[in-house]
Amino acid sequence: MKKITRRSFLETGAAAAATTIAARAILPRGWYAFAQAEASGYFEREFGITEAMCRKVLARALAKGGDFADLFFEHTISNFLILEDGKVNRAACAVALGVGIRTVKGDQVGYGFTQELGEKAMLAAASTAAMIADASSNNPAKEFVPLKTKNYYPVKTLFSSVPLESKLPLVQSVNDKCFALSPLVIKVNVVFHDQQKRILVVTSDGVKAEDLQPRSYIASTVVAEKNGRRERSGWNFGGRREFSYYTPALAEKLAKTSVDRTLILFDAIQPPAGEMPVVLGPGVTGVLLHEAIGHGMEADFNRKKISTYCTMIGKKVAEPFVTIIDDGTVPNLTGSINFDDEGTPGQKTVLVDKGILTSYLHDKISARFYGVKPTGNGRRESYQHYVIPRMRNTYMLAGDAAAEDIIKAAGKGIYVQDVANGQVKIGEGDFAFYVSQGRQIENGKLGAPIKDVNIMGNGPKMLSNIIMLANDFEFHEGGAGACGKGGQAAPVGFGQPSCLVKSMTVGGVKG
Amino acid sequence: MKQELYDLAERAIKIAKSAGADDCRVSIGGERFVEISYRDRKPENIKEASTKGLQVEIFVNKRYSSQSTSDLRPESLKTFIENAVALTKLLAEDPFRTLPDPKYYQGRSTIDLKQYDPDYEKVTPENRHSFVKAIEESCLARGGDKVISVTAGCYDSHSEQLLMTSNGFDGYEEASVFYGGAEMTAKDEGDRRPAEYSFAVALSRKALPRPEDIGADAAARALSLLGAKKIRTETLPIIIENRVVSRFGGGFMQAMFGRSIQQKQSFLADKKGQKVASDALTLIDDPFIPGGLGSRTFDGEGMAAKKRVMIDAGVMKDFYVDWYYSRKLGWEPTTGSPSNLIIPPGKRSVKEIMRDLGRGILITGFIGGNSNSTTGDTSIGITGQLFEKGEPVHPVSEMNIADNHLKIWQRLAEAANDPYEYSQQRFPSLVFTDVVVSGI
Repeated sequence: MKKITRRSFLETGAAAAATTIAARAILPRGWYAFAQAEASGYFEREFGITEAMCRKVLARALAKGGDFADLFFEHTISNFLILEDGKVNRAACAVALGVGIRTVKGDQVGYGFTQELGEKAMLAAASTAAMIADASSNNPAKEFVPLKTKNYYPVKTLFSSVPLESKLPLVQSVNDKCFALSPLVIKVNVVFHDQQKRILVVTSDGVKAEDLQPRSYIASTVVAEKNGRRERSGWNFGGRREFSYYTPALAEKLAKTSVDRTLILFDAIQPPAGEMPVVLGPGVTGVLLHEAIGHGMEADFNRKKISTYCTMIGKKVAEPFVTIIDDGTVPNLTGSINFDDEGTPGQKTVLVDKGILTSYLHDKISARFYGVKPTGNGRRESYQHYVIPRMRNTYMLAGDAAAEDIIKAAGKGIYVQDVANGQVKIGEGDFAFYVSQGRQIENGKLGAPIKDVNIMGNGPKMLSNIIMLANDFEFHEGGAGACGKGGQAAPVGFGQPSCLVKSMTVGGVKG
Repeated sequence: MKQELYDLAERAIKIAKSAGADDCRVSIGGERFVEISYRDRKPENIKEASTKGLQVEIFVNKRYSSQSTSDLRPESLKTFIENAVALTKLLAEDPFRTLPDPKYYQGRSTIDLKQYDPDYEKVTPENRHSFVKAIEESCLARGGDKVISVTAGCYDSHSEQLLMTSNGFDGYEEASVFYGGAEMTAKDEGDRRPAEYSFAVALSRKALPRPEDIGADAAARALSLLGAKKIRTETLPIIIENRVVSRFGGGFMQAMFGRSIQQKQSFLADKKGQKVASDALTLIDDPFIPGGLGSRTFDGEGMAAKKRVMIDAGVMKDFYVDWYYSRKLGWEPTTGSPSNLIIPPGKRSVKEIMRDLGRGILITGFIGGNSNSTTGDTSIGITGQLFEKGEPVHPVSEMNIADNHLKIWQRLAEAANDPYEYSQQRFPSLVFTDVVVSGI
């Protein structure tokens, strides 16, 4: 559903991204100078949220019945440092604080939220959520048992403890290295983003789960000019990473990747149009899986029978060498979660097992509908949103071919190296992804660079058209990507080996 | 709440100034909204809340940062702003960062833009539920036995926004928004389940169509996609339907911003006064349409809104240049953001144009795709109808168009007579000739 919001003053002038510089070294006091990295007890310590208060609010949320209710407390600090025209001359910070209260009855959801964490405001939001039900009241659990999970992104040093003086040279160095690498470089933009998100989930069935989710990335954009022609490209690194990840070597690698990828575009063309074999390089091309199968396997679309995959569980959808996984447990990857936003532990879900479609991605609502356990895919953008099934890190396991043999087998077609974005129509299964960088394949060899071309396919058709997989699996180590669904953004990750798809429609320029 | 917003803004400015800021700009927004959706003839989601947020932009020692928070408790806010000022001082100097010269605040129009519908107060929960039910019922009825799923919904909000600067500007806006929409998924051959949506959005309740029309339109659109297939790659005329023109045109617009130009990421940077499109393209930025979704008397920096011709019969006339990039470029500022965008409608309907063109594709949706603002190259997936002899033959899917914005707009042949109402971008359907449509 489309929702239009009016222009907001809050968007003023924020061209790229916006946010902070909450450096603990300079911020020894105040409510957002965190004393310690441990997640446990944060909301009670900082905001006085007690179990007794939670029970009272949950009781209000279930005042008219309902299957269950939950509370989602969030306190997120996001910072951006932005370099333009050679200097780190802009910073932005955003603080989000609030609680979302949800009442669930079957597949019906009542939702209220408040930015004030006082009892009165929370009870009012709970009354809103309760409206979805219309029977007699239920009681929440008498005790809340803390959820113990593994930690896939332990935080030793909070971003709020990293002084601005440490971040500034990192950002500056990427700029300086880019200019040093080529005299053709005329503009460089660098953004460093860090975020620490504290969450507390309390459910009426007695679970209490607290987490600290770090997220960060460094991204650079390079514009180069050659003989009057300009090209632009860039790269990013990140994930659920601490500041120690951002070493001088990484800055060097970022600069080199960004400049190389820009300069190659001076030789690039938009390829010919039509159906042809497509080879996807390793890593970021996993966006293909995200669009071609991932969204279609989100269980809300399937229980409503609006996904093309809704009748395919247990059926063969791909060759036996194809296994596709959605996984919240990959250390430090962007889409990893210790537990999801309704308190289900992080886990690994096999979507396609040796060619057979095995499981949808569930939240609690769809798990109840299908009579299965939730898979830990219940996610939300913030306390202002209710949970829906979402992907985490989606990837395909490696095959055993050599990458060059796959290119050879393609004969004539295109090689996709980098993908900027994608979209899917889940009912038809038709998807598209935008190739920002690649090569033509001619006579089984890589040829001229290509760019700016959209590729179209159909999910189930594409899966059955995967005919070779290489042994060069890679996770995409970028952190800037987010997936949008129902107006909510969620950080997700990708991974893939090189892979040959027999045929897809390439949206090129010549007939 | 108006006075409360003013008090808060004044307090924020005072804190920033006492902490050493040379200048600052504060914007505060508050909103109350209700959102309801129905599926299977019962409420699927009900959501209701109030939000408030404050953003403060700090200018200190020729340095700049912007900070936003939803925690407006007096002590928190004080600490937040004081810390922000301290941290801003550590950034690199940027002499171009200042508040606008107050002369650009002058001459603000006093027109009544009719952004707040007094009827908003009268909307009851029953009104909302019956409105959504009516959308759902008409969609189910029109969809008939092809319906797999229908979701209908409404949203309404009452919002207030205040912008205040330390160099003498303040501007307050109050607005209501009403939205109704539906999405239907239909049964097709095999495992294909095409879905389409319809919606309407307006600032006054009376400006919305009948709910029955929204539901029926969603169903008709979903049904029109049944039996879609791709055709062979071919050069054809295309018509882009009014409501999706903005998605394609967005690739062109990206290059019209001061930042793109100054950062050398604009294919339009040196095109002022030059022909960048055919005579058929005139683009007007008009902030003064009563009830317009993008109407305003001042922009996000407080500069007085003006009506502007951006493109005149294909000639590039103006760009979106905010105060900061105007200083970097050494140009006059215009505004950093579009208001309502108008492409003057033509005389003929889409149907008449289709009859005239004979064979072509009516594009009703885009998928994936992107556009490179530095070079103008673009490539995007399409869905729509293949038509021959002016009549729809079958829907198309899994197809794509690719071109360059500096070339394709030169082949804009005509604008239809159907400007789209439910968007800030009131574009009519547009006809382009000789477009490579790739398929098989």
